[in-house]
Amino acid sequence: MLKEILIVDDDPDFVETMEIILQGNGYETRTARNGEEAFKKVREKIPDIILLDIMMKTKTDGIWVSEKIRSDDKLKKIPIIMITAVNQDSEMAKFHLGQEKDMEYMPVNAFMEKPIEAKDLLKEIKKLIGGPK
Amino acid sequence: MKPKKCNINDPECHLDRIRDWHGDLEANITTLIENLKDIKKHSEEAKGACSKHYAKTVELTKAKTRFTYEVSHELKAPLASVYNIINVILDGYLDKDFKKQKELLNRAKVRINDLTKLLNDLLMFSRLEEGTGKIEIEKINTRELLPPLIEEMDSFAKENNIKIKWDFPNNLPHIYGNTELLNRVFVNIIHNAIKYSNQGNLVKVMGKGKNHLFLLEVKDEGIGIKKEELPKIYNIFFRGENARPEHKKEGMGLGLSLVKRIIDTHGGSIKVKSNLNKGTTVTLSFPAIQKKEK
Repeated sequence: MLKEILIVDDDPDFVETMEIILQGNGYETRTARNGEEAFKKVREKIPDIILLDIMMKTKTDGIWVSEKIRSDDKLKKIPIIMITAVNQDSEMAKFHLGQEKDMEYMPVNAFMEKPIEAKDLLKEIKKLIGGPK
Repeated sequence: MKPKKCNINDPECHLDRIRDWHGDLEANITTLIENLKDIKKHSEEAKGACSKHYAKTVELTKAKTRFTYEVSHELKAPLASVYNIINVILDGYLDKDFKKQKELLNRAKVRINDLTKLLNDLLMFSRLEEGTGKIEIEKINTRELLPPLIEEMDSFAKENNIKIKWDFPNNLPHIYGNTELLNRVFVNIIHNAIKYSNQGNLVKVMGKGKNHLFLLEVKDEGIGIKKEELPKIYNIFFRGENARPEHKKEGMGLGLSLVKRIIDTHGGSIKVKSNLNKGTTVTLSFPAIQKKEK
């Protein structure tokens, strides 16, 4: 069975191009446009890995999803790659993580900054879950 | 006070002198203490003012950092999507699907147009915010300016099966202002009313003069704004929960935050009343040119 990647971003162009790249490299994909939808889809069927946008203009963003997943015993081991549009400067990230938290303590496995090079993304995915099969 | 002269054999006199000195000293110390109390009070006041000023500065710096963060995000997210689109085509993922290539390139074009719009808005916003740059002010005949603007938006309304009804009396007051900026305000408010209406709804645009003011009321029967979101609508990049997701696809520039700055620059005001799922009424008011001035 092919490994499945859940792509979560509120930018439809970003989601579609990621799907083209990942499907083109043999992975299966599912998509979600906001945190709530993502969490629902994760619970319906556990994906092998999640690509999660940190800042979505929806009520529930990437931080919300990652915290929800990490506090659920059945889901907490799913690898998450957090996607950021701005650099990972922790000062900036603190606005989203709350003043006490820091980017370093985010419950995710990797950070990648947009724009994402396909080869870098595939390398990161391979490192975390291996190839598509 | 001249010190009292004492005979060397008169201890009482000496004691009196000492008592006098003591009295003087006590008075001086009391004055000194009063002065010190005064200094303390002033320094506490200064400290208070300083910490207030400091808190304000911290708040402003935070707001500025947040603004930079949000602007970076708004600029970088679409750029990243355009970059991805170019990459998937260059990397040959879509070599067999020309239709898809064309579709994605068209979407890239829309994103670049949106970015240009956003950058222009940011420049205008900062010019208005700083009060730099000259804004040309002229007399504006609102009765002549408004109908063509509405007619231009009529096709957008018809596409969405929304009807626009407008009423501008012939004696509509003239105002002072910058035509381009005010066009922007009127178009934005009316466009929003159409965009957030449901199919089959009516948008009413009414102009009138009242108490030396020109008033423009734009009323829709659309999705409305949540009560708790109303105070935030002028914040840069704010988008109401109820407005998502279908309204998001359109590049929006700075929307109401820019509109508010333009209105402020013109000495006008904007009032927004809204009921969730029932509709929104926006009332703009600008100082009217008095008849004798025309």
